[in-house]
Amino acid sequence: MDANTIYLAIFLYFVVGSIIARLARRKLGSGVNDFFLAGRTLGGIVSALTYSATTYSAFMLVGLAGFTYIGGVGALGFELIYLSGLVLVAFFGPRLWLVGKRYNYLTPTEMLGDRYQSKAVAIVAAIAAVIFLIPYSAVQLIGIGALVEGLSGGAIPFLIGVVIAAAIAVYWTWTGGLRAVAWTDSLQAAVMLTVAILSVIFIAYNGFGGFGNMFTQLEERYPAWLTVPGPGFFNIHAFVGLTLPWFFFSLSNPQVSQRLFMPRSLNQMRIMVMGFLIFGFIYTLVSILWGFSARLLLPDLEVADAATPALLGLDIVPASVALLVMLGISAAAISTVNSIILTLSSMVTRDVFKNLRDNTSENRELLVGRIFVPIFTIFILAFATLRLDLIAALSVASSAGLLVMVPALIGAFFWKRGTAAAVLASIIIGGTVATVLQYSGFFPLGLWPGVWSGLISTVLFIGVSLLTRPPEQKAEEFLGYLQEELNTKKII
Amino acid sequence: MSLKQQRIFWTILFLLMIMAAFIVPFTPLFRDLSRVYGAFLFWNIFALVVIICLGIITAKWRNFNGR
Repeated sequence: MDANTIYLAIFLYFVVGSIIARLARRKLGSGVNDFFLAGRTLGGIVSALTYSATTYSAFMLVGLAGFTYIGGVGALGFELIYLSGLVLVAFFGPRLWLVGKRYNYLTPTEMLGDRYQSKAVAIVAAIAAVIFLIPYSAVQLIGIGALVEGLSGGAIPFLIGVVIAAAIAVYWTWTGGLRAVAWTDSLQAAVMLTVAILSVIFIAYNGFGGFGNMFTQLEERYPAWLTVPGPGFFNIHAFVGLTLPWFFFSLSNPQVSQRLFMPRSLNQMRIMVMGFLIFGFIYTLVSILWGFSARLLLPDLEVADAATPALLGLDIVPASVALLVMLGISAAAISTVNSIILTLSSMVTRDVFKNLRDNTSENRELLVGRIFVPIFTIFILAFATLRLDLIAALSVASSAGLLVMVPALIGAFFWKRGTAAAVLASIIIGGTVATVLQYSGFFPLGLWPGVWSGLISTVLFIGVSLLTRPPEQKAEEFLGYLQEELNTKKII
Repeated sequence: MSLKQQRIFWTILFLLMIMAAFIVPFTPLFRDLSRVYGAFLFWNIFALVVIICLGIITAKWRNFNGR
């Protein structure tokens, strides 16, 4: 594809997004709550779209399609079990929302620090999130760089693609904080879904004469791809190792769990949850069908992640649609990166800066948070351009690494006996184990890092809690308030 | 059902469904069923049932606007 056409498409996309970001800025009030949480006043539909765009990254149409290409239907199970992880929001969503409003929490890690009465808990949890989410974000930018380079036949160098994506992400975030991120995410989610549906229809009808024929061909030519373990990639260890950490994504990833503070009412949160589920279900199916199509049409690819760019290069997809898909994938990546940047900035200012300095004014806190928006962007950009093996390992380890937050989060709402020492032990040791196992490739007993980090952090959280003294007064007050509210509102 | 009973009911139901989503497609019956109505259909139905259950649970949130 011609480089100028790609540049023009990206430019137009940037202009439209920037207009939306500037409009969002007009509604921006003062204070950290407004900048990072849109003042806890988001409507349900915008909440659903920003939740979707933040959750679903470039992984879907590239990585998940690739998983389907090499591993078959197991990829569908992996992603739909992950989607079913929203059952956790049925229990934790209203609880986080209620305590967020009562105690004015800005971040989920601030909630942990307060609930366990330990500044160290908030600081360590925030630092762990930075360690795992920066490489994860860098991989998103690497994805855009590679995609644009591939589509343009090398005319747009990798570095240029990465820099453009980072510039767009930082500009929109800086302009209007969460409001701008949420509004541009809404645009991006709409583009992601529309383009994905449109393209899969083109592929199915132009490539196979319809969806029925596509499945018939699949059953005839690649029957193993409709079973697990099937071709072998999704053996039970790999399936559990990949799926288990992602099941807890809605709790473990702060850029997502922070979104549970934002809807203006529980009714709007309901719209957010249901909207996301419908979005996720459709987007998952499209990504899987994409992978199956690549398996049938391009059986000899050496690299699974090449399935998407290769499909786009076929003449069954009109060039205009291919261009839109490129924008859709870039949108998926940018909307994930800008949300992570904003969440990490809020964590640094609230959980680290404010905890280390007494008597910080809100203006100063906001200033520090805003300054970290470009700082994190530069970090992510630097990591993306280095393309180190460690970045890929940390990115893969992110789901296993962030899983170590889950026992502390569950304990905060359901176990009075949990202690700060236990949270610190579970996060530090669990996170280290996840990283070492992922980087070394050593999977004891065949179990993947996510299974080990989940087990170790749970055992440590329970064991150390039983040996140390809990913050009894806070636990009574926190859980007592919740109990009363949940009973009044009849929420399970 | 009291709130406590509802919590237990939904927790057990979700645990069973999620365990089934991990186990059923790997059972011999499904392992050899290389058809669209095998694991592909099973996981789709699983997801739709979860979505319906969440629709039922969250329907109770609608009365509280937090104002």
